[in-house]
Amino acid sequence: MWSYTLRRVLLTVPTLLIVVTVCYLLLHATPGGPFDGERKVSAEVLANLQAKYHLGEPLWKQYLLYLNSLLHGDLGASFRYADWSVNDLVLRALPVSLTIGGVSMLLAIVLGVVLGIFAALYRNSPADYLLMIIGNAGSAFPSFVIGPVLILVFAILLKWLPAGGWNGFHVRYMVLPVLLLTIINVATVGRVTRGSLIEVLNTNYIRTAYAKGLSRWTVVLRHALRPTMIPVVSVIGPLAIGSITAAVVTESVFSLPGIGKLIVNGAANRDYTLVLGLVVLVTVVAVLLNLLVDLAYAWLDPKIRY
Amino acid sequence: MTLLAVLVARSTRVDAFFRPGDAVHRRVSRKWLPALAAGVCIAAVSNVHLAHAAIVPPGVQLAAKQELVRNNASEVETLDPNLAETVPSNNVTRDLFEGLTATDADGTVVPGVAEKWEQKDATTWIFHLRKNAKWSNGEPVVANDFVYGCQRLVDPKIASPYASTFGVFLLNGADIVAGKKSPDTLGIRAIDPYTVEIKTPYPVSFIPELMSNTNLGPLNKAAVEKYGKDWTKPGKLVSNGAFMLKDWQVNSKLVLARNPQYWDAAHVQLSQVTYLPVESETTDIKLFQSGDNDWVYQLPSGMYPKYKQEFAADMKIAPMLGLRYYSFNNKDPLLKDVRVRQALSMVIDRDILAQRVTADGQIPAYGVIVKGVKGADVTAYDWSTWPMAKRVDEAKKLLAQAGVKPGTTLHFALNTSDYHKKMAIFAASEWKTKLGLDTQIDAMEFKVLLKKRHAGDYQIARNGWVADYNDATTFLQLVQCGSDQNDSGNCNPKADALIRQANESTDQVKRTQLQTQAAKLVMDDYPILPLLQYTTVRLVKSYVGGYSLKNPMDRYRSKDMYIVAH
Repeated sequence: MWSYTLRRVLLTVPTLLIVVTVCYLLLHATPGGPFDGERKVSAEVLANLQAKYHLGEPLWKQYLLYLNSLLHGDLGASFRYADWSVNDLVLRALPVSLTIGGVSMLLAIVLGVVLGIFAALYRNSPADYLLMIIGNAGSAFPSFVIGPVLILVFAILLKWLPAGGWNGFHVRYMVLPVLLLTIINVATVGRVTRGSLIEVLNTNYIRTAYAKGLSRWTVVLRHALRPTMIPVVSVIGPLAIGSITAAVVTESVFSLPGIGKLIVNGAANRDYTLVLGLVVLVTVVAVLLNLLVDLAYAWLDPKIRY
Repeated sequence: MTLLAVLVARSTRVDAFFRPGDAVHRRVSRKWLPALAAGVCIAAVSNVHLAHAAIVPPGVQLAAKQELVRNNASEVETLDPNLAETVPSNNVTRDLFEGLTATDADGTVVPGVAEKWEQKDATTWIFHLRKNAKWSNGEPVVANDFVYGCQRLVDPKIASPYASTFGVFLLNGADIVAGKKSPDTLGIRAIDPYTVEIKTPYPVSFIPELMSNTNLGPLNKAAVEKYGKDWTKPGKLVSNGAFMLKDWQVNSKLVLARNPQYWDAAHVQLSQVTYLPVESETTDIKLFQSGDNDWVYQLPSGMYPKYKQEFAADMKIAPMLGLRYYSFNNKDPLLKDVRVRQALSMVIDRDILAQRVTADGQIPAYGVIVKGVKGADVTAYDWSTWPMAKRVDEAKKLLAQAGVKPGTTLHFALNTSDYHKKMAIFAASEWKTKLGLDTQIDAMEFKVLLKKRHAGDYQIARNGWVADYNDATTFLQLVQCGSDQNDSGNCNPKADALIRQANESTDQVKRTQLQTQAAKLVMDDYPILPLLQYTTVRLVKSYVGGYSLKNPMDRYRSKDMYIVAH
């Protein structure tokens, strides 16, 4: 398994190179540049700006310069946030997004699995329907609707929590964004868990377990849960990566200083280095998450061995 | 500057960074057109020294906690005053730094570090610095700090976006930006530690107002050079304004604290100012409602009538020096005929547009000069007072003469935004119902629109401009021959000659006449389609004192603000 892991980690390098190259070309092919403003800058100023950021060089040369600094762990200078390097920006934004995303993922998994088990065991009962309706509503409403509703209720009507913003890692500012992302994801986890458990419960070895006289909860928790988790784990990877995309909306709704905000501002302002830096980051995270999911399969299913 | 869409920028076109979604532009650029200078009054102008700073009316009870939270609509791109380009950045650098002069809450020029100044001859100004001005590290602010700040602005190595915008008004500035001369040849020098001399390449009557821009302000050379690129970070930034930098969390908040070393610190009421970078207008409002924000930068599109009822005491609406207009591509096969451009302009009912479509107090515009600008009077077309039926008849005749048949399709480009879309649909319906012309509206991302507009790759395009400084020349550059800001490609040599003549005039009355005449003449070519004059529409908590409705450049220094007991 170690050699498998190592191989997968090494594969990240060519993956990254391809992703960076494609993004690099796409970004530079997009009309409009970082210095196009409603007020046009004079030709002299434009020349000075391009010289400062090496944008006057041929594209291939800029690309090689970029790869070189990337190899040295330097993501370059930002145009949009001129006082900061991309490294600074990413290092400051990442903990915010990881905390919000990580906590909500964890909550979504725990809640989703518990609700899914409950729904599967009381299949087709009113409790099952109720849970699934609530859960599905959560994933059916877009986050830009649920978010403002949460703010309206908890910040403006009840005045329990701030309407947005960020204050260090103060919990009060994290509750609503975490709640929003949890609501979005919990239904998916719950539905998959329910379906998967129902299927597992119909297998022969579960029938055998019951035949041995084991209690229902022992059967579920000790024998059925592990195989149930295989499909669940396979949706968690995409969900986690999806919450990076979701962060674009969440961070705007709650005005959070995370990665999503940087992505939007970087792209809208043609901040080439910032966007590429974030692409590198997201690519690495995606590759690692996929690896973790694959390793989790092996742990959950003895038939899978690498 | 361009304008911003919804945001109001300060002068300039609105460019600015955009925020995703719609409101995009705001930048503040202010640009003065190179080349235009204003007339000069050679008589030495000596300014009046008013006590500025927060003026708390008698009887007003101040709150114990003097802390203000103001949304700035976007994260600043820099705190380096030389590099600051957008409105958000300039809002903060105006609190952190102070130039030779400053502007108060009413937009009037007041003394800054200079306590008085005079114009020695047509192109020479002398500024006398106060002796008690200090940097936040306790060092005195001296004439060489201004020399260093201005030379750094035009230094090609620094590559300031405003280098040529402001640099052209100082002797040799344009050549230095172009790399033809060294920065130390700039027209600014220290006569002694407390006297600054400024030389301009031609008479520039608005030098005192120009010097209120912190792009041209002082810098503490030792502090800047010690930390390199990091000199603007908390704990390192040395500033000379009413406030100093306490904390800066990118995309979260920027906190300023009162600067005890500031020469007028005794009159600064606020102990802390927090700038929020909230881009989403709905989030901005929510923070205002929940009490986390005192200052909504700009209302969401279409919400003015509702919020006017809901927050009557907090609503602040005032005209600003900005023009919403559509650019006509004067080289386009269809639009190169002035009759077609005139017909399209005549049939748009600006009154309905202002009252029913945008419904946020904007003023109909029929010329390139807006109300309140110095140096030219507002001009309007004769037909602007005609009944609409007569305007439509005339427009139809013009189209027929030009050979344009009903059913012809116009191509309209705008950047994606609810506000712009609403206006464009209205314009298209006017053209359709009154002239029988079809319009294809192409919404695109802001940067794509800019590229197309600057390259002349469009037929009709949304545009906007906010004054960089209060003088007609900031608007005239939109329609001057060969100007960087002239997206329509029209050139009227007669109007240009009048503007040049105005620049050389030292008589302000004559200069205003000439520029008014030029504005009228050039607008008879219908190079652009003027629509509305911008307003600043925002919510400011009623307990925030010092907010004036007479600030057409939308430049509010926190120094002038205070919190009333509530």
